[in-house]
Amino acid sequence: MANPVIMPRQGQSVEACIITAWHKKVGDAVSEGELLFSYETDKSAFDEKSPVSGTILAILALDGDVVPCLDTVCVIGQTGEDISAFTGDPAVEAKEEDAVPVSPTAVSALAQTPVHSVRQEGDTLRISPRAKALALQTGVDMTRVAATGPHGRIIQRDIDAALDSGYHSTVADVEAYLAGGYKGDTAVTVAKGTALEVMETQPDNTVYVSGTDFGLYEEAPMSGVRKAISRSMCASLTEMAQLTLNASFDATSVMEYRKHLKENAGILGLGKITLNDMVLYAVSRTLLGHPYINANLIEDTFRLYHHANIGLAVDTDRGLLVPTLFGADTMTLSQIAEASKDAAERARSGRLSPDEMSGGSFTVTNLGSLGIESFTPVINPPQTAILGVCTITNRLRADGSVYPAMGLSLTFDHRAVDGAPAAKFLSELCTNLENFQLLLAK
Amino acid sequence: MPKNQYISPSDAFASGSLTFDKIPLCQYKKTLAQEKKLYTKADFMRIYRDMRIIREFETMLNDIKTKSAYNGVEYNNPGPAHLSIGQEASAVGQAYCLDINDFTFGSHRSHGEILAKGLSSIEKLTETELYDIMQEFLGGNILRVVEGKQEKQGDVKELAVDFLLYGALAEIFARTTGFNKGLGGSMHAFFIPFGIFPNNAIVGGAAPVALGAALYKRSNHKKGIVIANSGDGALGRGPVLEALNMASMDQIRKLWGMDGKYEDGGMPILFNVFNNFYGMGGQTRGETMGFDIAARLGAGFSPDMLHAEKVNGYDPLAVIDATQRKKELLLKGEGPAMLEVATYRVSGHSPSDSSTYRSEEEIEEWKAACPIAAYRKKLVEGGIATEEEFDAIEADIVKRITKICRMSIDEEISPRMDLDSQPDIISSIMFSNQSVPSMDPDREAEVLIPKEENPRVKQLAGKARYAFDEKGDMLPKIKQFGLRDGIFEAILDKFYEDPTLIAYGEDNRDWGGAFAVYRGLTEAIPYHRFFNSPISEAAIVGSAVGYAMAGGRAIVELMYADFIGCAGDEIFNQLSKWQSMSAGILKMPVVVRVSVGSKYGAQHSQDWTALTAHIPGLKVCFPATPYDAKGLMCAALNGTDPVIFFESQRIYDIGEQFHEGGVPVGSYEIPFGEPDVKRVGTDVTILTIGAVLYRGLAAAQKLQEQYGISAEVIDARSIVPFNYEKVLESVKKTGRIIIVGDACDRNSVMRDMASNIAEMAFDYLDAPPVVFGSRNWITPAYEFEKYFFPQADGIIDVISQKILPIPGHVSTVNESEL
Repeated sequence: MANPVIMPRQGQSVEACIITAWHKKVGDAVSEGELLFSYETDKSAFDEKSPVSGTILAILALDGDVVPCLDTVCVIGQTGEDISAFTGDPAVEAKEEDAVPVSPTAVSALAQTPVHSVRQEGDTLRISPRAKALALQTGVDMTRVAATGPHGRIIQRDIDAALDSGYHSTVADVEAYLAGGYKGDTAVTVAKGTALEVMETQPDNTVYVSGTDFGLYEEAPMSGVRKAISRSMCASLTEMAQLTLNASFDATSVMEYRKHLKENAGILGLGKITLNDMVLYAVSRTLLGHPYINANLIEDTFRLYHHANIGLAVDTDRGLLVPTLFGADTMTLSQIAEASKDAAERARSGRLSPDEMSGGSFTVTNLGSLGIESFTPVINPPQTAILGVCTITNRLRADGSVYPAMGLSLTFDHRAVDGAPAAKFLSELCTNLENFQLLLAK
Repeated sequence: MPKNQYISPSDAFASGSLTFDKIPLCQYKKTLAQEKKLYTKADFMRIYRDMRIIREFETMLNDIKTKSAYNGVEYNNPGPAHLSIGQEASAVGQAYCLDINDFTFGSHRSHGEILAKGLSSIEKLTETELYDIMQEFLGGNILRVVEGKQEKQGDVKELAVDFLLYGALAEIFARTTGFNKGLGGSMHAFFIPFGIFPNNAIVGGAAPVALGAALYKRSNHKKGIVIANSGDGALGRGPVLEALNMASMDQIRKLWGMDGKYEDGGMPILFNVFNNFYGMGGQTRGETMGFDIAARLGAGFSPDMLHAEKVNGYDPLAVIDATQRKKELLLKGEGPAMLEVATYRVSGHSPSDSSTYRSEEEIEEWKAACPIAAYRKKLVEGGIATEEEFDAIEADIVKRITKICRMSIDEEISPRMDLDSQPDIISSIMFSNQSVPSMDPDREAEVLIPKEENPRVKQLAGKARYAFDEKGDMLPKIKQFGLRDGIFEAILDKFYEDPTLIAYGEDNRDWGGAFAVYRGLTEAIPYHRFFNSPISEAAIVGSAVGYAMAGGRAIVELMYADFIGCAGDEIFNQLSKWQSMSAGILKMPVVVRVSVGSKYGAQHSQDWTALTAHIPGLKVCFPATPYDAKGLMCAALNGTDPVIFFESQRIYDIGEQFHEGGVPVGSYEIPFGEPDVKRVGTDVTILTIGAVLYRGLAAAQKLQEQYGISAEVIDARSIVPFNYEKVLESVKKTGRIIIVGDACDRNSVMRDMASNIAEMAFDYLDAPPVVFGSRNWITPAYEFEKYFFPQADGIIDVISQKILPIPGHVSTVNESEL
């Protein structure tokens, strides 16, 4: 019995993944647990290990292909087994002579074969094209949706109803499928539904020449992460009433404290604490007194968090990623420093899970190291505010003495919070930072 | 029914007997001595040459068809060849009397007629005129092929003969250098600059078309006559009999004109029957007809018996004599006329004909009577020319035809259309898509009163051009400017703008059209531009086709759409095809108005849009509001394409409910092909065709009020062409569409649209596109119509049953699956 390997669904919002590398080719022997292929979501990278031992009979998606979650990406079995049920092409049989690497074009043709023949005869899922598209887009498991259309057909409103009731295909569903799927024919309810869609392929980069060398350019497709950022930022700016308040605080106290930590690094083992960690610490302590800033706004309902789950904006090669420091208000300064360092590293190496990048109640972003004196951070929906941390500049006190001033830019959603309470939060944060050592004692 | 023509019982019941004059049969008796006074030697010799050219041309085609070679030139021609070997004297005799102002129309067997008329035109035109024609035609494409390939350089007439023979043969061989770029072919070759109008592969098809060309001459005071050539078999065809009757109608001589100002007499048309005694293999005399002598038919159509006469078609001089006399009659205004030219084709109906229907002896006897040999013998014996002179002519002809044949099959100089590199080349000439507001801008339109004095115009000035008052309340119907008024305004304006515009049909004048669209035209437009036709749908539409071919613009009305069948060939094969079969040379500015009825049962209530939409070459529209009806009529009347203009008797009185500001007084166009969103919605699209728009809107309102379902209603307006853009946009939004119309469901336009929408918007659809038309029954009596035609409630039922089950909705109609 040949076994299909599907593209796992990593997190609730993931629709499709990009295959970044195959570690095996058609005809290779593979044992259970051996590395099969690597892939990435719009936010993270993963490795997929082989769930069974056998020979790779077919690879249905190439490096760089975007594969809808739960679609079959390769088939493992014994040489000579019939794999037409997975490839949709009865003529393709894994004969001895076929167990050689398939040329890219041939594989691509297979990948594009409409795979409706995956379904067995008599096993018809009636669903309108529109409803199917919506299900694939939103991750609703169409095989479990109640149909209200003519002839028991699932129509758009049925998917809408499933979405409204919060029913999605979960990781647990996928795992249950994976666990049971390889044992026999009872398999694949999930795959049957989703396998209907023809895979998308990424266009190649192309250089166009338009007469002169100055016309040369390269077309680069938007990466998955970029697309996700693009969608999220557009939604943020079009759906919210955002405005930014700018303030600064006297950083003497925090700088002195940091100097002190650095000097005593050997003794305490705390040398890696940064100014940003201190800002995170102060934010985590200040937020809890401002429930509508430490919140999500979803349609007409606020989600007022009991803890400060602070999103940490990290600039990576893939684009901006925001891992969440869950329960930052319960962490010590040192724990915050450690957690943020770890999150940032994993973000840069693409090892964050999608679930780690959601559930934030507030976000802190820092452009201070790049010399930015003030800016307008964009809120990460469905949060209600974001704090921008700016650089330190020297300012004069009324008595003429010079002090280091650190800028803070708070963008908030005016739908959720009015100006005065937001200003109050910012001002309290400044006070806490100016009196950082007192805050630590609290 | 002019009131001044009184019908009294005493006249109607007057006792007596009807007598007929004698019909002359083959009475030509001129002696050679007399003929010598009429014709020079050159004339005699040219008549011989022309006959001999036709004989050689047809022989060449016969050889190509039967032996795949002629005189050493090998070729295979899969197309048709209906040859006229034996009939040369008839064709040449007729053409001898004609010039380029005289138009000829022919049949499937008309190679000889084309060549004869062409040769006669070449003889009569000056060298400059000839060269200009050749240079101008298709940008000189044909001229370039033949020029410089003559033995005698600089002889334009010699060149023109090559031009004629080559243009015709290249056309027969489907070459781009043919007279119609190869799109007409053997049975439809023609050349307008020489007055050679289309031949017709439909037996008798040309008769009503030729009548239309005569009508153009008569109504626009143009020079020349028209000859409708047909065979004897065509006399069994209804359209031919309709054309004979309509050409003879009393009003032309009794009523047409304007206070004596435009008295041009009868219809200048000669119905010329080349009687070769067979319709394919059916023997008309003795088997399939009862007339015995074809010329007898003349007695049935008019008191002057159409001046009918039979002439010996094997004697070119007898044919000239008869044709000349008929032409003079027509030019005097005493038309129409009829001439039977007795002749015989010794060749088969087509090269595959094994002549099972006639004896060897019969064929041999006619071969022995060969008109060309007899004529030559007469001239030799009469001392007009020597055998040697004739031999020289003959040798020259064989050489010429061989040369023409070789050129016509040369792929280099005579290429075929390249549909591989230009796949849209035929599709691009299906319509001319031009805007020509007046077909003769230099001439003033003949009208009886200034437009502003028109009683209907005055009456309409008092009507509300928008259906609602300032408060948004609907005005009483009687105060509203209706759909019929919109159509009237567009037509009235065009009558004053385009002097060639004519309108006719059944009960158009006096009555004002059965549905009062034309009320007010009788007072304004003279008879010769606006008249009642006989109840002859084939002749009505067929003549409009010929009228347009000759250069005019016509609106014809068929009263009920159900009568389209009576004009079947004229709509499906003539009106639709001549623009493209002429490779775009001809224009067809004809509007055929048809009205879709209700209440009148099975033969008076049918929406036949699908029949007309199926035929390539026709534009089809079905407006449902006064604004759209006027705008589409303006567009149709400014255009150069044939339009089947559907109207609905249910809504002639409906006011304008959509276009704010109401129906404009002046002219404006609604572009063909653009559907119109009449109500915006988000949940389901209702696409309506014709009057069902209002039932669609009622359904949309009920869906909103009772179920909170927001329906978008789109009015198709046009059917051919049809731009799906707006519909697809709507379907992408709603995901659901029902297409509604009054036509029977099966094979309807709705089905076609549904299939196209399913193809183009498949991924957006939440349900298959659903069609809700009338039942595939006869239309029952008015009392049962709600079971037959789609109703507003039925639209909701169908949506609930097939598209979006509506909780709580109880259906009144069970719209079962097919």
